[in-house]
Parts: sequence; C-alpha cells; structure tokens
Amino acid sequence: MNALEKLFIRIVQRVNINLRELEFDAKPYVWDLIPKRQMTKFYAFYCISPDHPLNLQFKNTGLAGSYFLGQCRVSNSLLYKCDIRGDELKREGDKFRFKNFTIPISKNEEILIDDSALVKTLIHNYSHDPESPERFFIQDTISTHYANIHGSPTSGCFLGPFATVDLTTVQDCVIGTFSYVQAGEISHLKIDPGTVWVRSPGAFNFLYRYPLEKLKDYIYFEAGQPPKGILMDFVESRKEDFQRVFDVVNIESTFDVPSTASLDRYAVVKPSTRIGENVLVSQRAYIENSYLGKGANAQENCFIINSRLEGNNVTAHGAKIIEATVGENVFVGFNSFLRGQPESRLTIGNVCIIMPHTIIDITEPLAIPQGQIVWGLIKNKKDLETNSISIHELSKINTRFSKGTMFFEGNGSSFVSAFQGRIHHILEANGAYFNPSDNSGLGHAQKNQKMSFNTIQPYPRGENEGLFPTISIQL
Amino acid sequence: MEKYLIKDLMVPISEYATVSEGATLFEAYLALEKAQEEYDHNKYRHRAVLVLDKNRRVLGKVGQLDVLRALEPKNEQIDLFEDIRKYGFSDQFTMSLREQHLMQGEPLTEICKKTAQTKVEELMSAPTEGEYVDVDASLETAIHQLVRGSHMSLLVTRKKEILGILRLTDVFAAIFHTMKECGIDIEKDT
Repeated sequence: MNALEKLFIRIVQRVNINLRELEFDAKPYVWDLIPKRQMTKFYAFYCISPDHPLNLQFKNTGLAGSYFLGQCRVSNSLLYKCDIRGDELKREGDKFRFKNFTIPISKNEEILIDDSALVKTLIHNYSHDPESPERFFIQDTISTHYANIHGSPTSGCFLGPFATVDLTTVQDCVIGTFSYVQAGEISHLKIDPGTVWVRSPGAFNFLYRYPLEKLKDYIYFEAGQPPKGILMDFVESRKEDFQRVFDVVNIESTFDVPSTASLDRYAVVKPSTRIGENVLVSQRAYIENSYLGKGANAQENCFIINSRLEGNNVTAHGAKIIEATVGENVFVGFNSFLRGQPESRLTIGNVCIIMPHTIIDITEPLAIPQGQIVWGLIKNKKDLETNSISIHELSKINTRFSKGTMFFEGNGSSFVSAFQGRIHHILEANGAYFNPSDNSGLGHAQKNQKMSFNTIQPYPRGENEGLFPTISIQL
Repeated sequence: MEKYLIKDLMVPISEYATVSEGATLFEAYLALEKAQEEYDHNKYRHRAVLVLDKNRRVLGKVGQLDVLRALEPKNEQIDLFEDIRKYGFSDQFTMSLREQHLMQGEPLTEICKKTAQTKVEELMSAPTEGEYVDVDASLETAIHQLVRGSHMSLLVTRKKEILGILRLTDVFAAIFHTMKECGIDIEKDT
C-alpha cells in the first residue's frame, strides 16, 4: 500500500467517524471511485491573474486534473479533476453583512481543504458562515462526481453525485444524489436523493422531492458502482472533447470573442457558436452550435448545445441546455438538465427561474411562458402545470401551499426577492452589466481575460506515486 | 399508615384480559369486555389485552394506543408528510396536508372494520426489559420503572412466571391515598 492509498483510508475513516450517528459508511461508495492509477496521469493547474490574490499551498495531497484560482490551502486530501475557484473570496477590508451584523474582514479569505477526498467537484463563492468569514473550510468530507460546494463551509460530510450545497454551513450530513440544499445551516441530517430544499428560517421554506424510480433513469448511485444514468452518459460522451483542450499547452481560439467577453482556454467551444458582449464562459464549460447573447454566462460543467440564450442568462454550475431557446434574464439553476429535441424544442420565456436541479426532458415541443418558476421533473405539458407557478402568483402567497411533491411555506414574495436578488448579484459578479465607455460593472468576464496558467505534476513513481510534493505558490 | 405492596396492588393475571396468539383485534376486544364484566365494577377499567403463546407465556400487549395506531393510514404520501417534518416545516402545515389527504381516503368506519380483523401479533408491542418487576420488589422500584419508561403498566413476575399486571392507575391511587393519610390539606396549600 503506497502513501496515496494510506491517505485515502485515513480520509474515509475520518468521514465515517463524523457520520457514525447516521450509520453511514462511505467506504463501499468511494473505494473504487477515485481511480488511484489516474492520480499520476493528470497534471494540476493554477491560474495567475493581476486581479486575484495568489496564495496556494499544497501538503500531502493528490491533485490530479484539478484547477486552482486565488487563495487556497490543501492538506491531507485527494482532489480528482476538481475546480477550486477562489475569485469571489472576501478581501481584507471588506465588510461582510449577515442579518444585523456588519463583520469587518481582517484578512483575505482562504479556501481550506483538509482531510477530504473530492471527485470532479466545484468549489466556488465565499463562506457565508458569519462564524468563519475568513475561512471557507472543507474538512473530513467526501464528495463525488459533479457535486457543487458553493459558499458552503462543510465538515464531516458525504455528497453524492450531482449533489449541491449552496450558501449553507453543513456539518456531519449525507447529501443524497442529485440533492440541492440551500438552508443556512444544517447538521446531522441525511438528505434523501433527489431532494431540492431552499429554506430561509422565518421567511420561507421550499421543498421538492423527486420520484426516485423516475430519477434513477437520470442518475443512480449505489455502493460499489460508479454513478449511472442519462446525466452521466451525457457528460461522459463528451469527455474526449475536453481531452484535447487539456492536452494542448497553447490553445488558440478560432472564435470571434468580443473584447468584453471571456472564453476560458479550458472550455470546449464548437462551431457554429456566437458569443455576445459581456459573456462569461468558464473552464470545463461546453458550448456547441449556440448563441450566447449579451451578458449571458456558462459556468463550470455547463453544456449548451444547439441553443439560443437571448442575454443576461445565468446558466449555473453544471446546468445543461440542449435544443432550447431561452429568453432574456432567465436563471437556470445548478445541475439542471433541460433537453429538447431538434423537432421538439424547449422554449423558455423571459425572466423565468428554473430552480436548481430541475430536469426538463421532452419529446414534444414545450413552451414555458415568461415569468414562471419551474422545478422538478418535467416531461410534458401536464408535468409543467404541476411543477410551475408564475412569479406573480407565488409572490402573493403568505401562508403555505403544495403542488405535487412540492411544498412551500412562508412568504412567497421573500422567496422571489431572494432569487431575483441573487440572479442580479451573479450577473453583476460575472460582468454582465459591464460598460466599456466608463469601465463600470467590471466582472469575471472582463477580469478573466488577463489570466495565465501554470501546471504542476505529481510523483510519477515510488512510495509517493500520485501525490504532489509540498508546494507553496505566492506572489 | 398503610404500606402498599406490589402483590396487593396488581391485577392477578387470571383476572386480566388475555388472548392467544392468532386472535384478531376484535376477539381481543371481546376478551377485554368479558374481563371487565367479571372484574370489580368499582375498579378502574382494563385498558389492554395480553397476548399469550401456547404455553401461556406473555408475547406482548395490545393497548389502546396500539389500536389507534393501527387505524392510521400507511402509504407513501403519509410517509412523505412525516418525512418533511425534518426539513423545518411547521406541524400546522404537515397536519393540514395530512387532513387533505385523509379526506380523499376511506371513511373511518371502513378502516375500523378492516382493522378489527387484524391479527393481534401485528399490533402488539413486546414487553421490554424495564416492563418486568419482581413481585417482592418495593413499590418505589415499580414507580421508578413506570416513570423511567413512561409505561402504563408493568408485568409482575416471580422468577419467570407472570403473576399479574401492576397498572399505573392503581399505583397512582395508592400514592394519592398515602398523601391523604399524611394529612396534607391540599385546598389550604393551593
């Protein structure tokens, strides 16, 4: 047994100790999930940019295929093809507002990853925990394929494939496959697969539960097996396209990209794609034969194929849009899978909110009117009626209602405002509102143009095969 | 002042309602009714039926709550309503969901009819370790066991033999009687 395997055993044990109350054993789920031989195969890479403080430290880690930006310390951990994107961390001198508190930030915030094993996981945003405003920590945690840890300090957790924790401090929890949690703070909870939960205590509570038998067609994960289903097949079938952009050192874009837009060199963009002003295309995004209108964005692990996005669209981490026409100011949440067909396109009206982890998979044309909130599994018009409500109607609710397996309690107007505020913030941070005449509204789309990348390599053989040497990278 | 003993307070098993395993809930109710008729009418009513195996050993007890629990509908929707409690929804909300769901279900008379045919083994709860008390144990010990386990009664034993049932209500009556004997003037104190 080499050092990498010993490290993996240690991580699994630490996670299991934290999850003993839930009687959860991570080992059978993940033992074969991190391909130990692959850990020597891929380099890790980091980004240098004049707009982001640089402080990267790695100690006793495997980092195969992973990307780093900003301030991040990793120790005693295994990361496989992860994106650690520290471009929204708080800066020294910032003021962090939490309820009635204004918390001064005394030093640049860091992402701290300790004793964790993360597979194809995205880590982004900043710590929303007022108790640790300068430390966005992930410790004693295992996450699996295409999980998102977004603004969520996480300790002692297991995240299934395509699970997302968003703006939530999570302690000793199991987050089931394809579950989305945005609930402020949770501990010692086992979230069942296919749960979409958005809660602001005292304001609103939204819960949707997928029918598990139907969800299995899309994503299914059992002990001893890799994740399976349409979502995995869809992503895996485009793996080779990414291979090329990772193999080539200097890659020249053949696309006409406006000077106010950013196309990451680790994104795949195929003909005939057109990119508008202020567009952001992040690394590991895949765009094919699509139009991205002014201010649209495609974040990590997004796929946009044969589609048209009219402008100011948020396509959140992991969202997929195929054969669709998407109106202006539409939000498509994390890991959503929206699939029309060439003869049965999906049309989404302006200002719609497609909730995180929504699956729309149609074989007949479907049009979603403007101003709708949409959730859950939708395969036809009838499903859409059950799994949507107009923003206007939801805003009027001040008690409770349920539709299908969706439950809502609280103030609908607060819920809508929270989402709309967030969408505005994302567009702003991404530079969608940038005005070149006065340089106002500068965001990721503009700043990311000034990036360069370096690669680092693991030990190729020997006791430490697959592990990286201790490395410190600073300005 | 009278000193109460467990053997004096317990209901002898011969006077208690019992049924054999395999009996239906309706048969258990008939046994309860019969035991009550034969029991001292001035005493507190029996509220449970003991289920015995062929060797007359106690397998379990069917109490009032067990019967009511059997009337509760069990389906995926009800499980879902129970499950969403952990996600922070109010009791008011989950109760209203339940109410709406039940309105679409069978009327109570139909459910009662079906439940009456249920075998007692499906409803009974097997006694736990803390539900046995030795006949020679002190009343204080029995009180402690009743309180600690929130039990409605204890099975009184001598070695492995079940002699009777010590009911919460009889223990309470004895304690209250003792208080009165102590000369406490309740009205004055309150």
